[in-house]
Amino acid sequence: MKEEFYKTLSSPILWGVLVLAALLPFALSSYYLHIVTLALIYVALASSWNIVGGMAGQVSLAHSLFIGIGAMLSSALLLKLGINMWLGLLISAAISGVLGALIAWIDFRFRLGHLSFVLITLAFAEMGAIVVEGWDFLGGASGLLLPKDTGDFLAFQFGGGSGAFWVMLTLATVCVLASVAILNAPLGFYLRTIRDNENAAQAIGVNVLRYKIAAMVISAVLASIVGTAYVRYLTFADPYLLISPVITIEIVLFATVGGLGRAYGPALGALLLVPLGEVLRGQLGSTLPGLHYFIYGVVVIAVILATPSGLLPLLERQWARWRRPEPTNAGPDAN
Amino acid sequence: MIELYQALAQGLLIGSTYGLLALGMGLVYGVSGVVNFSHGDFISLGMFMCLALYSALSLDPYVSVIITVPVMTVIGALVYRFLIRPMVGHQFLMVVQLTLGLSLVLQNGILMVFGGQPARTPSVVESKLFILGDVVLRAPHVIAFVISFALAIGLYVMLRSTDFGRSIRAVHQNAHAAALMGIDVGRVQVLTFAMGIGILALAAALLLPGTPIQPTQGLRYTVITLLVVVLGGMTNFVGIMLGGLVIGLAEAFGTIYLQPPLGPLLPYLIFVAIMLFRPQGLTWSSSR
Repeated sequence: MKEEFYKTLSSPILWGVLVLAALLPFALSSYYLHIVTLALIYVALASSWNIVGGMAGQVSLAHSLFIGIGAMLSSALLLKLGINMWLGLLISAAISGVLGALIAWIDFRFRLGHLSFVLITLAFAEMGAIVVEGWDFLGGASGLLLPKDTGDFLAFQFGGGSGAFWVMLTLATVCVLASVAILNAPLGFYLRTIRDNENAAQAIGVNVLRYKIAAMVISAVLASIVGTAYVRYLTFADPYLLISPVITIEIVLFATVGGLGRAYGPALGALLLVPLGEVLRGQLGSTLPGLHYFIYGVVVIAVILATPSGLLPLLERQWARWRRPEPTNAGPDAN
Repeated sequence: MIELYQALAQGLLIGSTYGLLALGMGLVYGVSGVVNFSHGDFISLGMFMCLALYSALSLDPYVSVIITVPVMTVIGALVYRFLIRPMVGHQFLMVVQLTLGLSLVLQNGILMVFGGQPARTPSVVESKLFILGDVVLRAPHVIAFVISFALAIGLYVMLRSTDFGRSIRAVHQNAHAAALMGIDVGRVQVLTFAMGIGILALAAALLLPGTPIQPTQGLRYTVITLLVVVLGGMTNFVGIMLGGLVIGLAEAFGTIYLQPPLGPLLPYLIFVAIMLFRPQGLTWSSSR
């Protein structure tokens, strides 16, 4: 089982792609570098969401809370209390993890079912947004402006531009590799049995609570860390962007379009949709605000209606057909 | 004490409209198991249609419903027929994601047409007040209260004593058995969804006078509606109206008695507390 992960880790394709990607700052103008950096941020966020939302089938709408804690709390700690942002990152990641465990526990303790889980997480997300908008320590409605990024690594600064790009490339890689690792580890199998049939999973002795909490905590901590890096890149902690449930909805939609529960699905969705959105915003944002979200919505509806399991499985089927042009008879394992 | 009465009155008046918003969602959930995460954006759509009618023809929101309710009902039928029905029977979560996508489309469609500036739609009754002793009630809230409860009672009677109502209840209890009895389940589901969206057009007009509106407000209405529906026990009529009143009261008390950020949190805190002790909702229903 684990071999699959080590095979991925030692794959020349992976390292080739990473090295080529790492060279991008030398080839791209700052505008396109910004788009790629944003895409990587959303690759990381969608992949981390997928651990709980896709693999365990628990559609969490609470991820804006974790991203928001990572972004707003670490900024507030730096600006109001002078706490180094590396330490702020750890503090906010720990708080996000605890909150994630709490939400997973509430869900399990009361056997809330799918709908109520979506709702409980949405309620937590809304509460987070209200607290941030109403509490001046966290920036209130006007947000927090971080000091200029001078590239001081010890102060969690990466110099913007290419430095930020490399950080995001690292984070995106970590999140995708974490997904591959989990999918190939016992945890991944347990999560899938929980997704497919929770009662059956419990009946065969899977410790449902433990694995649900594990998935939620890993997912929350990763999202929180990405949140801190995101706000450092933006240099402005904007509550309407970073802790609004809309950011979670975007992430959920990227993951759905790419392919839920797959290791590379959410990354594919984010890599396709974020640049599309950014280019549309760049071209038409001033004349038609909202157009890029409108198009996200249309794409998502079209993909869900056409191929509910997402684009990645569709591509895989096409690839398999291309490699084997003869249609194979349905065997016992094909369905 | 005056504050207490004021909060009570205001909470009950607004809460009744929340109950009305949630009845449509509860009905739809009952007959097709669909939870519509674009619910709040349909409310937005209703409100902005009133705004457009006001700008074009200076129609009062209360008059606009003659146009908005039929239009929204037709939109609801089309949305169900072409977007949601293909997904019924698929995994529950795919419908959630589909309606989240629809929410983005509606919200940003409105933004593209009307721009992002907050807008208001005036009404003749907007500044009228009812004064009961020390308690001051705004006329739009009183009108919303009366119409919401009248409509809730009307729906209840409709469910109990008309053929359509009986077929809705039959499909809710057991869609297979209902189909065997000759009920066109698909038709009942389309009509219920269309009706649920049509009610929203009315609720939108009731909420509108004096309220600033923004294209991005939809999600908050969705969340409020969901809180109410889950508190009420999903498909229980009385429970849903009760849930609406609880959320309305929590909102009013939070605004009057607590400082931000705590005030607006109150409905959510009460919701989480109730869910912790009564995960099945306020009433007996065991639906999840």
